[in-house]
Formats: sequence, C-alpha cells, structure tokens
Amino acid sequence: MAGAKCNYALGFLTIIENPEHGLFGGYLILNRAGRPLEFHCTAPVKPNRAQQILYGPTLEPFLFGEQIGQSLLDKARSEPVVVCTDREPVLAVREFTKVPVALVLPPEEPGAETTPGHDASANEAPADNAPASDALAGNSPAVAPPAGGRVYRCDPAHGYGRCGPAFRIGPNRLAVSLLAADDRQAIAERLATLGDWFDLAEPFQRIREAIEEARRGGQ
Amino acid sequence: MGQAQPIGSHAGEFSWHPPAAPRTRELEVSLDPRPFVTGWNRALGRLGEVAARPIAVGFSTPRTISIPIRRAPIATRSFVFPEPIAWAGESPAAPAKAGPGGAKVKVSGATRIKPPGDVIKLEDRLRYVLQPSLETLLATRSLSFPVRPFPYQLEGIAFLYPRHAAILADEMGLGKTMQAITAIRLLMHSGELQSVLLICPKPLVVNWQREFGLWAPEIPLAVIEGDQPRRRWLWQLSGVPVKIANYELLHRDRDVLEARDAAGGARIRFDLVMLDESQRIKNRGGATSQAVRVIERGRSWALTGTPVENSPEDLVGIFEFLAPGFLSPDMKPRRMGRTVSDYVLRRTKDQVLSELPPKLFRDAELELTPEQQESYRLAREQGVFRLTGLGPSATIQHVFELVLRLKQICNFDPLTGASSKLERLEADLEEVATSGRKAIVFSQWVQTIERLAGWLRRFGPLEYHGRVPPGRREAVIRRFREDPSRHVLLISYGAGGVGLNLQFANYVFLFDRWWNPAVEDQAINRAHRIGISAPVIVSRFLILDTIEERIERILEEKRELVETIFSGTQPHRKLGLTQEELFGLFDLKCPGGPMGVAA
Repeated sequence: MAGAKCNYALGFLTIIENPEHGLFGGYLILNRAGRPLEFHCTAPVKPNRAQQILYGPTLEPFLFGEQIGQSLLDKARSEPVVVCTDREPVLAVREFTKVPVALVLPPEEPGAETTPGHDASANEAPADNAPASDALAGNSPAVAPPAGGRVYRCDPAHGYGRCGPAFRIGPNRLAVSLLAADDRQAIAERLATLGDWFDLAEPFQRIREAIEEARRGGQ
Repeated sequence: MGQAQPIGSHAGEFSWHPPAAPRTRELEVSLDPRPFVTGWNRALGRLGEVAARPIAVGFSTPRTISIPIRRAPIATRSFVFPEPIAWAGESPAAPAKAGPGGAKVKVSGATRIKPPGDVIKLEDRLRYVLQPSLETLLATRSLSFPVRPFPYQLEGIAFLYPRHAAILADEMGLGKTMQAITAIRLLMHSGELQSVLLICPKPLVVNWQREFGLWAPEIPLAVIEGDQPRRRWLWQLSGVPVKIANYELLHRDRDVLEARDAAGGARIRFDLVMLDESQRIKNRGGATSQAVRVIERGRSWALTGTPVENSPEDLVGIFEFLAPGFLSPDMKPRRMGRTVSDYVLRRTKDQVLSELPPKLFRDAELELTPEQQESYRLAREQGVFRLTGLGPSATIQHVFELVLRLKQICNFDPLTGASSKLERLEADLEEVATSGRKAIVFSQWVQTIERLAGWLRRFGPLEYHGRVPPGRREAVIRRFREDPSRHVLLISYGAGGVGLNLQFANYVFLFDRWWNPAVEDQAINRAHRIGISAPVIVSRFLILDTIEERIERILEEKRELVETIFSGTQPHRKLGLTQEELFGLFDLKCPGGPMGVAA
C-alpha cells in the first residue's frame, strides 16, 4: 500500500448494522483538513445464536470493540491522536489501544439535559429515575445508587463499553469510556488545535457511504 | 429384578409380568382389609382383591454438550490514499478564516463529491466518496473567495472534480469560469493535477488570466504567446501548473504538441486539457478539432453555454475530444441525451437563480419604411429571379448572399439610409439615457455598428468589434463601465458574444438577428448574469413580412432542439437550418433535394 504517514491524524470508527448482512465496521483516518488518508472496512460479521445468548448484554461491546474495532485499528498505518466513534459500545475498543477514544454525541436539543449517547439501553438495569451520567459522574464506574437511578453492571468488560458524562470541545459534544476517564483531558489537549469548523460527527456519514459503495462493489 | 412377584394369597390370579425394565425394586405390601360391617355375612367371608404394579425409578447419567465460542478472524479491506499537497501559504493547522476582502465558505452545507459512473475501480470510487464536503474543503485559509459561491456552483465543482470527461454546459452567466477554476484548484491542492492546459478563444485569454487571479491567486500561470521559438519554450516549460493557449495558435503549434522528446519517447502531456467555448470544435473534421485531439492528456473537460448550436452533431464533435466514439451522429436526440447524462451538467438561470432579477423580452415588431420596402422588394425579386435562373447550379452560397442582402436592407435602406429600426432604437435610448442607465446593442455587421455610432452620437456610443485592436478592447469596456456619459456600447456578435461581463447594463438590443439562438443567448447573457441588481430588458428587433420573420421561426425551432437533448422531451418536428429550409426561405426547391418548408 502506498501513502505517507501523517503527523496529525484523526481516526473515525463506526459500526453499521445491516439487517440482511450483519455488522460492517468502518475505520477512516483523516488529516487535519478532513481529507482521507486511510480507510479500512470489514466483511459483514453476524453473531450466532449461541453468542447472542452467552454474551448477553456484553455482546455489543465485544463485537463492536474487541472483535471489529480492534481488527480495524490493527490494520491502520497511521496512528491517530484520537479515535472517535458515534456508537457507544465501540468505546470497548479502548481496552486494546493506547489512543484515547471519544464518543461523538449528537447535538443537544435546545433545553435538553446533557446525557450520554444513544446506545444507552444496552447493558443497563431498569431503575426509577435519574440519568446514568448523574449516578456515574466522576471516576468510579462501579458505584451504583442503592435505590433509584439506573443500575449498571460494572465489571471491566462492561465498563469500557459505556460512556461517562458529556463534555464539549468547540462545537462538538463528546464523552469517554467510564473506565478511561483520563481520556477526557487527553482528548481536549489533542483536539485543541483542530479548527472550530471541524464537525467530528460528519465523517461517519462518509464511512456509511463508503461501506455502502464497497458493499455494492463487492456484489 | 425384572419380574414382579405375586402379591397376596391368590398368586395365580394376581401375577403380572411387565416388560423388562432397566431397574426395579420390589416393594413389600401388607394388607389388612377391614370390610365395612353391613350385616351381609357372606360378603364378610371373602378376601378383598388388590392389584400391585412395580414402578421403575431410573437414575440416568446426565449428558453434556459443549458450545465452543469461536473467535473467527475478521476479514478486512484496506485503502490508503496519497497525502494531500500543502501549498505555499497554506497552513493546514489553521482554522478557516476569510482572507482580506474574501469570503469564508460556510461549512454547514454538505455538497458531496460523487464518483461518476465510468470510475470502476473501488479504490478510486472510495477516494471520491470519502472526500469531505466541498464546504469543508473550501474552508481552509488559502481557499478564501472574493464572493461566496452559490450552492449550484458548488454542485458544479463537485460534478467536475471526479470526472475525466465532462461538459459543464451551464447557461451563460452562471459562472462556469469560477466553477472550473475552483475544481482545478481543489484537484491541484489534493495532488491529483499538476499540469493544466486551458484553450480558449484569443480574445478571452485576458479574461481567463483575470479570473484565475481572482479565484485561484496562488496558482502560477503562463500564457502561450509570442513568436515560434518563445512558444516552443513555453510549451515545454515545466514548473508552471496552468498554461493558457488560444485556438488559433494550436494549428501553428501542432508539430510541437506531436513531437516526441529527444529520446523519442514522451510527448508534451497535461493532466487536464480544458476547452472554453468548446463549440469551436463541433466540426469533427475541422483543423481546430483535430489539433486539440492530438494533445496528450489525462482529463478532458469542455465548457460551453451552447453545446448544441445547430444540430446534435455539434455534441458528437465535442465528444470526439472527450471520449472518441462515445456518440454517433446517427443517435436520436433523446437517446443521445440519455447517453451523455453522466457527462454533461447543464443548468439554466431559471432553475438555479430564482433570486436573479428576470430577463424581460420586449420584442419590437416593426415595418419597413417606404424607402426600405421598395429596396427590399427589388432586391428580393432580383435575387429570386437569379436563383431561379441558376436552376440546379444554385448553391447555398447564392442563397446566403441573398439573405444577407435582404437583412442589410432591413437594417438600413442602402440608398437613403432610412431605417425603422434606428427610429425605434433612438426612441428607446432616450429613455435609457434619461434614467442614467446603460445599453448594449448587437449587430452582425461592423458596417452597421459604425453607421449606428454616427447616428447615436448624443448617447456617447462606444464600439467593440473586430476592427478594434485587441489591446484596446479592455479599455473600451472599462470606459463604458465607469464613464456615466457613455450610455451605449455597440458590439458585433463575433467579437463580443462571449466572455464579456457587462452586468452593469440593463438594456440589450439585438438590432439584427444571428443565425442561431445560442449566439443570441450568449449576447443577451453578457448583461443578464450574476451581479445584476435590476431586470434586464431585451429588445429583439424584427421586421415583419421579411426574411427576418422567417429566420425567427427557425431560431425558435432550434431552441426546441436543445431542450429535447437536455431535458428529454420529444421534439415537435425535425429541426435545424437545413439546405432545404434555406432554399425554402424563398419558396424555392433545393437542387437535388426535397422541397423545403416555406414559412
């Protein structure tokens, strides 16, 4: 493969769920100007019934982070300063890389509370009220309120696939893994020089289109 | 075990032999019947009947099943793209800021580059799919713009960017120049283009230099000009990414373009050759067409507001440069339109510039003055008599001569100088000058323009035509724009039909009519283009019951032809200014052909 390594690169990792074919992973590395340097994608991955039963609520973090995410990160030639994802379970990949991983959250609705990402239904137990981010603010993912609020299972494998409270860098709303709270500071430092115009959510649309293009091309 | 034992004293009656059971256990059962005392003594003497059945109680060893959780390797595909080039003055780390006097492109839009249908390799297609939106690409510091591009212009840039063969055929005045320069600029910044040759009509070279300075000031240019040794040196000059040549000198320099280097191998090659006003190569057998086709190149783009001037064959001619053999002259217009749809982008002002002030037609249908009527009648009768007398030896040239003669009489009476068009023009110009506005007047003939200049002296007329030296033409335009006492610019279709930006004029007069509507549209769009602040009033002068009225009908039909190819509608009838139709203008039969359609 040709191409030079870039001294400042950003990684964008996401998983596309196709009802017919299964899961497609896509990993795009951009330079500071938003231009593509590398793109890696997976063949479709489909968990079997046994995996679905036995992995239970940990299936998504396992598939998204450990299986697909790790495979894609291992293929890249450039090491990004930050890996971004728009799927919360992908945060589990943090266990297998030294690069900080950020969850890019959708823009806040006017008047809405700051809450973590969209895969919040996975891996959680029902409770009375209070959002997870309130209960789990700080560095201790293992502490769940004895009554009220959502109760999380919090062994390490589960923790990497869950995000903590949201924070802002420029126009972008981010969160990090519950078990990698220090990433927040590292991400803030590493993205400090990025232009205000850089929309960290936009590249995921490119990945979706590229996977669709690759899928059509492979047929 | 395996056989049940008799229970009770009457073993013969109670014995029971079940099938062999795997395991059984014998149970001792003692019975102590206590009959209910009823007083019936005989019944008390009998024993009660009791049946017993052994039940097998099994304790099998549980079977186990192991479900392996396999971690199959994930199959991946990888694509690595070349690192973009950083140009002098560009700091990729810098956030987007507008340069001095420039406009930053808003990043919020999402004009995406889509791979064209003829890009087959997945890696190439993904390279385009994965590019950021144009708004993002343009939001770097070095790519500021003098004015913010319109969304349709960004779409035009996104159309050109990935294509190796393309025609940008927007209506005149929509900014094809800006779109092409910006696409080139982006491709150069991405490292996909290193050498570009732009070929345009000679009068437009200055225009292109100016536009490149405006839209891509960081890109060095060289204009191919001068004597032959200098031109040869310029052709071979390396390190200048964009070279501008004109069609006229291509004929003369064809040997340079075809020559191989000293080692007998490589020829001069460009990553992109772009033709402006590409209708110049519509004639496939013409010298210009052949000259541009010999240039070695990677990409071929064509810019024209009039891809079809006379017939669909015009488009075939342009495609001989873009993709030889892709189109055939035998194709029906609708099929041709479908075939080229991925290669041609054409938008009209009505489609994309709803906010642009309108173009209002205020056609003037006039009658000849008595003096003109007499001259016209005589010329027509003599001409037709001559054509009839020539019989089968009459040629198109003979018909043209007569048409031109009659059109000139429609402008001015050759004996007295009387002109109903002039009378009307003077009246209209009074209104223009009084309101402090400016007007441009088009004619086919320099002689007519010079004559008009004399009559219209009080309006401060300026002339722009073939007899004005090229070096003075820019000054004429500048003076017309800046001098408030200059209300009229008299232009010939040939010299001023293309490349001029006259959006400060609000009135356009077509003193006489050109042969095809595309040229007329080009002329009108000198004024009706981006930047105008008020409607443009267009007056097309037409003398009733003359050759002009008949030509007008043919022009309308040609407009329909263009619509057919680029909008997929069905033409009403076979169109075009055929030989039969030319003869038909005078109700004459075409020699060796069917009778033409007389208007």
